[in-house]
Amino acid sequence: MQRFPRVFTGRLTKGARLLSARLPEPPAAARRGPLRAGAFPSTLHDPRVASLLGIALGIAFGTCFLTGLVSHFMQHPPDWLQWPSRPVWLYRVTQGLHVMTGLASVPLLLVKLWTVYPRLWGWPPLRSVGHALERLTIVPLIAGSLFQLATGIANIAQWYRFRFFFTVTHYWIAWITIGALVVHIAAKLTVVRANVGRNRYEDLSRTDPQDAGPPTGGLTRRGLAVATGTAAAVIVVTTAGQSVPALAPLDLLAPRRPDLGPQGLPVNRTARAARVAAAARDPEYRLEVIGARRVVYRLAEVHALPRHTVRLPITCVEGWSADATWHGPRLRDLLDAALIPADATVRVESLEARGGYRASEVRPAHARDPLTLLATGLDGADLDLDHGYPVRLIAPDRPGVLQTKWVHRVVML
Amino acid sequence: MTNGGVGRSGPSVGGLALRVVLAAAGLAALGYGVDGLLSMSRATRPTNAGAWLIGGIVVHDALLVPATMIVGFALSRLVPAPYRAVVQGALLVSGSVALASLPLWRGYGGSADNPSVNPLAYGRNLAIVLGAVWAGAALIMAGRAVAARRGRPGAGRGPGRQSGGRRFARTRRRAGRRPAREQPARSG
Repeated sequence: MQRFPRVFTGRLTKGARLLSARLPEPPAAARRGPLRAGAFPSTLHDPRVASLLGIALGIAFGTCFLTGLVSHFMQHPPDWLQWPSRPVWLYRVTQGLHVMTGLASVPLLLVKLWTVYPRLWGWPPLRSVGHALERLTIVPLIAGSLFQLATGIANIAQWYRFRFFFTVTHYWIAWITIGALVVHIAAKLTVVRANVGRNRYEDLSRTDPQDAGPPTGGLTRRGLAVATGTAAAVIVVTTAGQSVPALAPLDLLAPRRPDLGPQGLPVNRTARAARVAAAARDPEYRLEVIGARRVVYRLAEVHALPRHTVRLPITCVEGWSADATWHGPRLRDLLDAALIPADATVRVESLEARGGYRASEVRPAHARDPLTLLATGLDGADLDLDHGYPVRLIAPDRPGVLQTKWVHRVVML
Repeated sequence: MTNGGVGRSGPSVGGLALRVVLAAAGLAALGYGVDGLLSMSRATRPTNAGAWLIGGIVVHDALLVPATMIVGFALSRLVPAPYRAVVQGALLVSGSVALASLPLWRGYGGSADNPSVNPLAYGRNLAIVLGAVWAGAALIMAGRAVAARRGRPGAGRGPGRQSGGRRFARTRRRAGRRPAREQPARSG
């Protein structure tokens, strides 16, 4: 306490007093229906259950937020940020984790909201200014949490019933949700401290042996925790196979299977959807690399370049990932041939005429990595049209939307 | 719900300062999100996003929770005590799994020209997963039935406490370790 200057502590305590000043109570006649005392008899509407679920949910949402930031800033890096190209599996892990923790949050969030549901009908509705403000910040927290999980689940299934653009909206609502969550933690810190950990408060009415199972004979607090954990575990085990190879046989309820698709690899955007099928098959196809020198290759000439084989995962922002063996010339060899300096950033352009993902920027760490190819082949065969025939970019540790397909031009920036 | 035993003496100034800093940081992040959502309105369509945000709360608070409570009430009438907890748990797991994969087994989403999106027989797969969940639940219930018959030959009608032996011991121990402090104030 002594560490704080007195003026500061004085203001703090004064502010705290102001926030805790009681507000007038509405007339008791209004206390009906779910507002009446004892309207929610279950003993599971309990601060310890709510605190423990809150901690689990806080960890899950924190993981989702951080891995989401990684994905966002890999796709939209500010000028000062240089993502490393190693380890090759970094993005695979962060994005797989993002989708996994998001899915596992479904039971955590719903059970948590259920345990605190009586608070929605608490009496009096507003005890003090602080209580009113706290209730107000609950609105963006609950709305944002449900929104993030619902839109995330819809997006990985490519189910678009909303008119907003998913990635941008999901990103901004993430800031709203995490902000409201931090405010909520500030508001509930004392409740959590009182109910979790060694020094927690013990409510004797609960340690009464009669209460080992609630009088209704339903789930105990422990039983609820086991059921919620089981729900999260079942969801993870039956979906994680879309990014964790060892769990692939249990991949029953994920939107992808890493081995299903043309050439045994899933596709996110088909040539037809990108409207490039004709241009990609055109015998007049040329690959241009433009630096200090402009070099133009016919497809046969690309195939005649020194060929390298790399084994790299492709990881979609939707969470799935799959290992594959790619063949083709190294990007850095092509850049050298066009006299593009080692510290230059290049833009890789697709045959697509439009769309947010028609081109991607490749910064030096990835452009110069020996594993980065302009691949022409996959698993010993030519690329399938849907995998980017005739030429696609494949680089380590990079979101799939930036692994530009149907490449026809590389330009120094 | 009680106030959870939060002390009446009031929080320490250090704890209060931490909470003030957290609240300020949270509000800043929240404001940053609102600003971004509104300023990138061509992509975020704030009216549409707002409808989904509010819609989520309405569907949850006015439909999902009341429906859960109706199911809970029905269970309390239909399923006897030792098995009700297991049925509740199995329903919780089933509902969560079904919700988390809803677009898949409903056949929503994907595109006709890309069979690698949502490629599995999700209705069948959901049935397999839920079948395993309920098989597990049935095993637990069978275990409880056997334990009730063996452990308490005379008390067959009160099996709600049959599994309480271990739990009983644990709670007794805990109660002994931490004597009562004060009764929590009722707040709602």
